[in-house]
Amino acid sequence: MATVSATARRPGPGGPGRYAVLLAYLVLAAVMLLPFLIVLGNAVKTPAEYSQNGPLALPEGIYLDGLRDFWERVDYGDKLLNSLLISGSVAVLAVVLSVLNAYALGIGRVKGRLWVLVLFLMANTLPQEALVYPLYFLAKQTGLYDTRISVIIVFTVVQTAFGTYLLSSVLSGFPREILEAARIDGANRWQVLWRVVVPVSRPTLSVLLVFFFIWTWNEFLIPLVFLVSNDNQTVSVALGVLQGQRLMDATMTSASAVLGVLPTVAFFLIFQRTLTRGVTVGAIK
Amino acid sequence: MVKVRKAAAVLAALATAATALAGCGGDSDSGGSGGKELRLWHYEGPDSAMGVAWNQAIKEFEATHPGVKVKFEEKGFEQIQKTAPMILNSKDAPDLMEYNKGNATAGLLSRQRLLTDLTPEVTKRGWDKLVPAGVQVTAKYDGKGVMGGDKWFGVPNYAEYVQVYYNKDLFDKHGVKVPTTFAELTAAMDQFVAKGVTPLTNAGAEYMAHQFVYQLALTRADRAWVDAYERYTGKVNFKDAAWTYGATTFADWVKKGYVAKNSVGAKAEDAGVGFISGKFPMMFSGSWWFGRVAAEAKFEWDTFVWPEAKMTLGSGGNLWVVPQGSKNKELAYDFIDITMKKGIQNALGNAGGIPVAADTAAITNPKAKKLIDNFNTLAASDGLAYYPDWPVPGFYDTWVSEVQKLMNGSASPDQVLGNIQKAYDSGLPK
Repeated sequence: MATVSATARRPGPGGPGRYAVLLAYLVLAAVMLLPFLIVLGNAVKTPAEYSQNGPLALPEGIYLDGLRDFWERVDYGDKLLNSLLISGSVAVLAVVLSVLNAYALGIGRVKGRLWVLVLFLMANTLPQEALVYPLYFLAKQTGLYDTRISVIIVFTVVQTAFGTYLLSSVLSGFPREILEAARIDGANRWQVLWRVVVPVSRPTLSVLLVFFFIWTWNEFLIPLVFLVSNDNQTVSVALGVLQGQRLMDATMTSASAVLGVLPTVAFFLIFQRTLTRGVTVGAIK
Repeated sequence: MVKVRKAAAVLAALATAATALAGCGGDSDSGGSGGKELRLWHYEGPDSAMGVAWNQAIKEFEATHPGVKVKFEEKGFEQIQKTAPMILNSKDAPDLMEYNKGNATAGLLSRQRLLTDLTPEVTKRGWDKLVPAGVQVTAKYDGKGVMGGDKWFGVPNYAEYVQVYYNKDLFDKHGVKVPTTFAELTAAMDQFVAKGVTPLTNAGAEYMAHQFVYQLALTRADRAWVDAYERYTGKVNFKDAAWTYGATTFADWVKKGYVAKNSVGAKAEDAGVGFISGKFPMMFSGSWWFGRVAAEAKFEWDTFVWPEAKMTLGSGGNLWVVPQGSKNKELAYDFIDITMKKGIQNALGNAGGIPVAADTAAITNPKAKKLIDNFNTLAASDGLAYYPDWPVPGFYDTWVSEVQKLMNGSASPDQVLGNIQKAYDSGLPK
């Protein structure tokens, strides 16, 4: 089913409406990109230039010291590795757990699954501010405070709650004929899951994986509270170092923002085809 | 399909490697180091006066304590602000850290018994003799965590106050005399307005706007008034002569154009950049801008204390605090001692900060010397009036939004002061 191509939906040639749509897209793209361009512009200004000309002026030259200073000041390489490690682990673990949960709820159709789903959804809508203190005491009790693994566990659970909710509804529409055919061929439950369900829903799983990765990457509050040592910190927490009590360093903050957003953009570009394919499959369903 | 599978496989491999690594990360090096390591946290940028001076202090500490390493971690202000109670209540507390002074911060932690009482060390090492009395107030707390108490829970290394920065070139260009009295100040602002120049830069969305109101009120107030407001030593009436004068005068200044009406949504950063880029002749703000103005302003500038003010906004700076869970308290005291010595204090002053115990003769930069001299005069005459947002939790936001209404003219000074009274009364400690 993943081979149902997007070509079927390509609009026909001609028509003046197309140019209007194109123009609208261009305007929309400009509006979306403008803030990024301003940040990028400020990232390559010297602090003095920023103070003289203000934030909206075009940079007079390319000044990369802000980027370099920030990199060295917070050991950005280490932070990048921490973020990659946390987000990567969470994405994979959460997808695996979501699949297992959703298999039971969506295909296994256990009793009371509706209530289980409602519970998961509620867990997902709880604000993180409310979770921070209980989680802090749990982490302290288990000796996991100030470790990366505590953040991985927390986010695996948080993301799994959403993943289970989404995947369960997707899998409950899974074609029964395929499952029955597999059973007749002598596959047990385990084999049905790994040989049939997972391969067929791979596009959806890939999308989930990408989303979990990016969501976890951008998380701020829980890493801020749990990752006390600078050695354990993630990129988003490291960006907070520049926010002083009364002063902000606008150029270096912009530089750090550029460094902070680059990995997610790179990640998105690499997995962009996966994303579009997954979304398309979902749409046809 | 193949591509996807490959990518997924790469990710999976990466993640398993990652989890393996994370397992190792479990036991971070937080264990006791037997007095061989001082874990130090602060949140001053490396180029700021404090950053420069304290870096020098780290080197000096390591030189005088062979075999001991300083493990310094630079933190964000927000991280410390949000998480200090949690960190200090765990075994991962640092040995020594910088912390925000005030009832809601250091005071609260002292009440929760998370900070070490430094009183014996302070008297033993003579720090109480170095720090001027007005600056000591924010370092000492009572049993309820209210500042001005009897026990030292922190040691201030620097101080800060608010003053007027002015652009000499703009004063010369428009033929305006630099004011020395309050009447001259308003006359000078009238002249600027007549020339189409807004005399004062301002930020309505942050601290700058309500600091004008407080400063104006202070010109009609005395020490007992400040203590009642900041330290709950008496009843506070926002409808009294001083507050009413402050609020009505500031509203009047907005009407007269001394302060731009459109600055109501501006941030302090915008206001500062406005001054540094030479658009405004004056900025009334804190000594925390000093280093930046010195580094970036391309015009002749200088500073003066608010004309005829006996009291102005200011206080001791942030504190060195020793967490109750510190594993190397002796080393922490030694480090504080080094930062209080003349060498580091002079370095702090020369870098544009206000040291609490410097030798002013050793300050070479004339502007920095003036900054410090003015502060010392204020401190000696008991002229530090703290900040208007200190007394009750959440007061900063109240001040910002009420003064914005004042600037917009959507509420009268009387209504604004009434609202502030309500927030003050309901926030008072029981």
